[in-house]
Amino acid sequence: MLQESNTAVVARGEHWRGEATTEPYETAWAREAIFFLRALKVEGDLGGVKAKVQISADGFHWADEGSSLALPATPGEVVFCRISHFGGFLRLAVTVPDGAHIQVVAALNLKA
Amino acid sequence: MDALQQAIFRADSELSRFDPLPRVFFFDRFNRGYNGWTTLVGNYEDDIDRMHPGYQQLTPPMLSNLTHWDGGSHGAMGGTYALKTATRAKAEAQSVAIKRITFQRACPIKLEFYFTFKPEASSLKLSKLDVRSIGVLFDLQDDAHRVMPHLRYLNAHGGRSVQRWQYKDKPVDFKRFSDETVTHYHLADQDWIDLPGEAQELCYNEIPTKVNWHYAAVGFDLRSMRYTHFQCNDRVYDMSDAGSLTLDAMPNLRGMLNVAFFAEANADKRTFLYLDSVVLSGEWD
Repeated sequence: MLQESNTAVVARGEHWRGEATTEPYETAWAREAIFFLRALKVEGDLGGVKAKVQISADGFHWADEGSSLALPATPGEVVFCRISHFGGFLRLAVTVPDGAHIQVVAALNLKA
Repeated sequence: MDALQQAIFRADSELSRFDPLPRVFFFDRFNRGYNGWTTLVGNYEDDIDRMHPGYQQLTPPMLSNLTHWDGGSHGAMGGTYALKTATRAKAEAQSVAIKRITFQRACPIKLEFYFTFKPEASSLKLSKLDVRSIGVLFDLQDDAHRVMPHLRYLNAHGGRSVQRWQYKDKPVDFKRFSDETVTHYHLADQDWIDLPGEAQELCYNEIPTKVNWHYAAVGFDLRSMRYTHFQCNDRVYDMSDAGSLTLDAMPNLRGMLNVAFFAEANADKRTFLYLDSVVLSGEWD
């Protein structure tokens, strides 16, 4: 049997302002992951702002995994982050500075 | 179904807990993967912000081993993994998981599934009223009509325990994006009608992290576009008066046979609907 793979669009055109996270996604079956982040709209200065990868044992208590993505600077730009050994839940967490805003598509690609 | 086929089905340890019609469209055991169940994306054109807010909130289904903060991994019924659809952590938030096929011919069909539902165990309370509803729908089209049978188990509404299965038969207005594309949000918490009979208590257990699985079966006839059967565990419902949302046939949908499961939160806390396995069967020669 072929190994399982799946791409979950965990943010579909969401507008990130201030504190933002993606919804928790269960990943216990997967061995490797890539978060892709594409900007649809960008307003204000997002220079140096990073979305942090977070992991969790239960889906609602979170810890920084250590990886992060610099937010795309212009509409259409794609950034990504490879992750392995992440346990049962993954999400992205970001703090967007006051006055700035980004609309994103975040896709989580998982493979067994 | 003849006796030989029934004996073969019942000799299969995974299939014997179902009661399918002779032809099996699909038999999805989520311990083996997603099996083509995916997120419901609302219609839009030109700008994704034009999507109806009801659809914007929908998130993708996932494979879950039902891990909890206190007891660890609960696992599913037939293996480690179940399909999970999760609402956002907001009262009245909804979520959907969908599978899309077409039918070969109009015939009787039967959908059977093992399911359970729970609120996110983020508070040390029973939380029994934190799930508003879970449900199942078909989205069908023949030459004349688009027909959408909807059933839900209304667990609670506001602070009130309800525990009733309901159906819906009133179509909702369309919003038109262009000559080619329209949208309508048919999952809203309105126009639901109780099925006949008493309320049905489903085993919730004693804390949010103890999980029990339930069986349900929906029979529907694609020739008459009427329900033929509905049961949940030991309760069989009279479906003779239950109707469906019925619309004029729409472009590009002929022969559609979509199946979707949905959930709705009753508190600012995620609602999880889990499916262990799903069988869709039919009866044709």
